[in-house]
Amino acid sequence: MNVSIKAGVAALAIALAGPALAEYPEKPVTFVVPYGAGGGFDTIARTFAPEVEKTLGQTVVPENIKGASGTRGGQAVARAKPDGYTIGIYNIPGLTVAETLGRDIGFSLNEVTWIANLAESKYAVAVKGDSEINSLEDLCALGHPIKLSDTGKDSTSSITAVIAFDILGCEIVNITGYGGSNDTMIAVMRGEVDATLKPITSLAKYTETGDLKLIATLTDETVVEGVQTTSELGHPELAKFGLNRVVGGPPNMPADVVAKLAEAFRNAAESDEIKTWADGTGTELRYLNAEDTKAMMGDLSKFYLQFKDKLQ
Amino acid sequence: MGFDALLSAAAEVASGGSFLYLLAGILLGLCFGVIPGLGGTTALALLIPVTFGMDKLDAMYLAGGVMGATSFGGSITAILLNTPGTAPNAATTFDGYPLARQGKGGLAIGAAACASAMGGVIGLFTLILFIPLAKEIVLSFGPAEFFLLTVLGLTAIAVSVRGKLLRGLIAGCLGLMLAFVGSDAITGDLRFTGGVNYLWDGIPLVPTLTGMFAISQMMELALKGGSVADKNGEVRAERIEISGVWDGVLSVFKNWTVLLRGSFIGTVIGAIPGLGGTVASFLAYSSVVQTAKDPETYGKGNIRGVIAPESANNAKDGGSLIPTVAFGIPGSAETALFLGILVLHGIDPGPSILLYHEREIYGLIVAITGAAVGASLIGLLLSRFLVLITRVDVGIVVPVVVAVSLTGVYVLDGRMADVLLTVVMGVIGYLMIRFDYPRLTLVIALVLGETAEKSFHQVQLISDGHALEFMMARPVSMLLIVATLLTFLLPIGRKMLEGARRRRATTGGL
Repeated sequence: MNVSIKAGVAALAIALAGPALAEYPEKPVTFVVPYGAGGGFDTIARTFAPEVEKTLGQTVVPENIKGASGTRGGQAVARAKPDGYTIGIYNIPGLTVAETLGRDIGFSLNEVTWIANLAESKYAVAVKGDSEINSLEDLCALGHPIKLSDTGKDSTSSITAVIAFDILGCEIVNITGYGGSNDTMIAVMRGEVDATLKPITSLAKYTETGDLKLIATLTDETVVEGVQTTSELGHPELAKFGLNRVVGGPPNMPADVVAKLAEAFRNAAESDEIKTWADGTGTELRYLNAEDTKAMMGDLSKFYLQFKDKLQ
Repeated sequence: MGFDALLSAAAEVASGGSFLYLLAGILLGLCFGVIPGLGGTTALALLIPVTFGMDKLDAMYLAGGVMGATSFGGSITAILLNTPGTAPNAATTFDGYPLARQGKGGLAIGAAACASAMGGVIGLFTLILFIPLAKEIVLSFGPAEFFLLTVLGLTAIAVSVRGKLLRGLIAGCLGLMLAFVGSDAITGDLRFTGGVNYLWDGIPLVPTLTGMFAISQMMELALKGGSVADKNGEVRAERIEISGVWDGVLSVFKNWTVLLRGSFIGTVIGAIPGLGGTVASFLAYSSVVQTAKDPETYGKGNIRGVIAPESANNAKDGGSLIPTVAFGIPGSAETALFLGILVLHGIDPGPSILLYHEREIYGLIVAITGAAVGASLIGLLLSRFLVLITRVDVGIVVPVVVAVSLTGVYVLDGRMADVLLTVVMGVIGYLMIRFDYPRLTLVIALVLGETAEKSFHQVQLISDGHALEFMMARPVSMLLIVATLLTFLLPIGRKMLEGARRRRATTGGL
C-alpha cells in the first residue's frame, strides 16, 4: 500500500518533470550481477534493487551472469541496448587492473556509461591477536620476507598487498589459494603466515574476538581507535586503495536516463532501509553521482597504470 | 549454544514452507531409493539445478530429505525383490530377502525402517558432539593437513573398491588429470585448456556429476530394457504381503546392542573420506556376524542381519557431514553432490563454515534427522505402493530423467557447453559401468585434485621449500601420514579376515 503510494507520487513527479523523463522507465530494469548468487556483489545488488524500484516505479530484476572473473556479466551489459533497461554492477578496481595489464576483458571500461558508486571498502593489515608485532615497522623488521595469505593472485586485496608493501619497502611472499577471505584470516590465526591485508569490515569479526589484531589501516583518517593509518606513516598514496561497488550501463546511454537512474540509486543509498542494512553488515556506503563516478574511474586507471610493471 | 541453535533450527523446519521442502525431499528420496539403479546420487544430481532459485535453507531441507530417505527406500526393494535399491542396501538382502520369502517381509521392513531412523538420529548426535570442538579442529588443520587429508581420501577410495585396486587407481588418475585442467590456483597459469575459453575455470563439477551418475545410469537402464522388476519373475507373480511391521520395529529395540554397533561403525566410516554407505553397511553386517553366538542363522533370515547394515547406512550420513562440510572433502558420491549444492548457494565448505554458518549447519542436521525419521514413517505407510514403482517401464523413466537433468544443467549457468560436457561425461560414465571401472573414484579425485595441488603448493611456500620436515613436525600431519599407510595395508588385512571367516563358515556348515 505504502509502496504503491510512493510509486504513485514518484510517477506523478516524473509526469510533472517533463515528457522526456516520463518515457523512462516503462518496463522492468535488468540489473546484471557478474558473480554468483550469495556473494558480496550479489548481496548489495539485491539489497539495493527494491529501494531503487521505489524511485523508478518499475521492477528491478537482479540477474546473475557469472564467469570469467566477472567479465562475462560486464560483456553482457556492454552488448545491451543503451536504453536504461540493462545496467550492471562492476568490481572496481579488479577490472581496472585487468585492463591496465592489457588483459582482454571483452569490453572497454572507458566506454561504460558510469551511473553511480554505491560502496567502498578500505583495507587494513592484521596479525595474530597475541603477536608481538604492533606496527608495520615491527612487521617489516621480522628479518625474513613477510608471509601474507590471500585468495587468488588476481584478487584486489592481493594486488593491493603487492603494491602497498613495495611502496613500504618490505619484501613479501604472497601465499594465495585460500578458499575465501575467512580462510585467509584463519591462516593468520593458525600462525602459518605472518599477516594478511583485507577489507577492514571483513577483519572486524576476528578483531572483536581478539583472534586478530589490526596494525595499520590503509586510510587517511583514523578508522579504528589506536591503529595507525598509512597516511600518518608518511604514505598518503596507500589510502587510494579500496574495493568499490560501481553501477554502470552500456556505452552511450542518454543523459536523462542516466540522471534518472543516478537519482534512484541516491535515494536508495539515503533510505533508512539501506542505512540499517549497511550498519548491520559493516558495509561502507559511499554514494557518488554519475559525473564523480566517471572521474573516479579515470583516476583509478591512472593510479594503477603507474604500478603496471610490479603486477606483471 | 549448540543446543539453542539446534532448537531454533528445529522450529524453522517445523514452520510451514520448510516442512514442505523436507517432505518433498523425502518422497523423492523414497521413490529414487526404491528403484534399483536410481539412488540418492541420481536424485541429488537432478536436484542441484532445481535448487538454484531457492532459499539456501530450503535447498538444504530438500537435499537433506533426499539423503535421509533413499537408503530406507532402497531397503524395501532389497527385502522384497532381493535387488538392492541403492548400493549400500546390498548387505540388507542377505537376511532381508530370506525373511520376505518366509512371509516375514513386514517384519524385515519394520526393522529396516526403525534401524534407519535410529541410526540416523545416533549418527547426527555424534556429529553435534563434534561441533563445539570446531574451532580447535579448524585451527589444527592447515594446508599441510589438507594436503595429507586429500592423499588419505584418495588412498581410501582407491582401496575401498574391493578387488579392483588397479581399476580404482586408473579411474582416480583420470580424475586427477581432469582436475588439473584450467588455471593454476596459485600462479594463475593456464594448463591443458587447448585454447578453449570454457576450460579456463577447470572442468565444472555439476555437469560432470550429472553426466557421470544420472545420464550414464539412464544409458545403462535403457540398453537393458524392460522394467526394473522383470528379472525377478518369481516375486512378480506373488502378491506382496506386508504384515508384522510393528514386531519389526520392536525387534530393533530388543537388539539395541546391534543397533548401537551398527550406528557407531556407520558414523566412523562416514567420517573417513572416500569410504561410504556400502563399506559401512557391509562392515556392520560382517562385524555382527563375526561376533554372533549363532553365525549359522545369518543369511537365512536373522533380523539382526537387517538391523546392523540399515542402522550403519543411515548413521554414516551424520559422520560424512564432518569431512564434507568442515573440509570440503566429500566422503561419498552423495556428499560430493551435496557439496555442489552448498557451493551453489554461496556456502563455501571449509574450516570456517562450522564457525560462521551455524544456522545452515544446524538446519541441515535437523533436516537429515527429520528425513531419516520421517522417511521411515512415510515409507512404512507407503511401502506396498512403493514396490509398484519398480514395475514402471524404463521406456518412461529414461527420457524423463535425461530431459530433466540436461535442462537443469543448462538452466544453471545458461551455457550450452555445460550440456555438451554432461553428455560427454555420461558416455564416459557408461563406458566405465560397462568395463567395470568405479565412477566414484574418478569424481572424488576430480574434487580432491585441486585441493591437493593447491595445498601442497601452499605448504611449499609456507615451509620455505622444506615441505616434508614441516609436515613431520606437526602432530595432526603425522597422524594422517600413519592413517594413510594403514589404509594401504587395509585390503591385505581384510583378505586375511575373509579367509578366516570362510574357514569358520565351512566348519559351521558341517
